[in-house]
Amino acid sequence: MLMCRELAGIASDYIDGELSTGRRLSVQMHLMMCRHCRSFIGNLRASTELLRGHSSARVEQSVIDRINHCVTEALSHRPEAPDADPDSDR
Amino acid sequence: MNAHPDLDESRLVEALKRGEQAAFTEAVSTYTAGMLAVARYYVDPANAEEIVQDCWVTVIDAIRRFEGRSGLKTWLHRIVANRCKNQLRTSHREITTDFSERLEPELDSRFKASGRWATPPKLRFDESADALLENGALSDCLDKHLGHLPENQRSALILYEAHQHKSDDVCNILDVSASNLRVMLHRARQKIFLMVETFQETGEC
Ligand SMILES: [Zn+2]
Repeated sequence: MLMCRELAGIASDYIDGELSTGRRLSVQMHLMMCRHCRSFIGNLRASTELLRGHSSARVEQSVIDRINHCVTEALSHRPEAPDADPDSDR
Repeated sequence: MNAHPDLDESRLVEALKRGEQAAFTEAVSTYTAGMLAVARYYVDPANAEEIVQDCWVTVIDAIRRFEGRSGLKTWLHRIVANRCKNQLRTSHREITTDFSERLEPELDSRFKASGRWATPPKLRFDESADALLENGALSDCLDKHLGHLPENQRSALILYEAHQHKSDDVCNILDVSASNLRVMLHRARQKIFLMVETFQETGEC
């Protein structure tokens, strides 16, 4: 019988569908009986989902500006691009 | 949200191939965050910025060889990862990703010896994640805690969650085994969970 602590250890694998069938079934059995673990899984999933809507790893505009400046410089010093690229593996 | 993200991407790629400056400006602001997340997994933040900047300059020419099999984002992330790995190879720095425990100590202490909860999760999230994020203070708190995650956990979480990469891609970009990735993701998620729980309960970050 799967205990709460053990379930907490594999909760992400359950959320991501990475458990074997047997393991998944024992998690589901446990969740039917244990509201604390239901709550844990629900909360863990919701916390993770926060990242999807979140502008994760926000970058300071100054960094973007610096890179853009560099790219602009490089673009302006670039010779005319040849039509066919000899390195292409096409 | 664009209804045809693929079309949008191929339009951008064509413009990049033509060397249009506006396209580079757009691409830099769209993709730099993810590229930095990759670089910071391997090197310190100052170095990471430099590497990402170098990569963008490389992209000016390399983009002509891009064929679109992997998607622009994945391609860019791989370029950054490869450059970091090359640099590490020359400086002989080893990346350690050894996690023996799957549970965060703070969470682990909330179980009885029997393996049942002693201090169960305190809250239920009845709100959707979107509704939670509308709380600006929580969003700031999330920023702060993401900043405090170990680099490798944060990169794994950001690539997997925010950039929606498949596990295989993340393993490839970060050069980790599937099982190490699982542990990194889980450790990072537990920390975010503990952060949100504290925030919901106390309003403090
Ligand atoms: Zn339980």
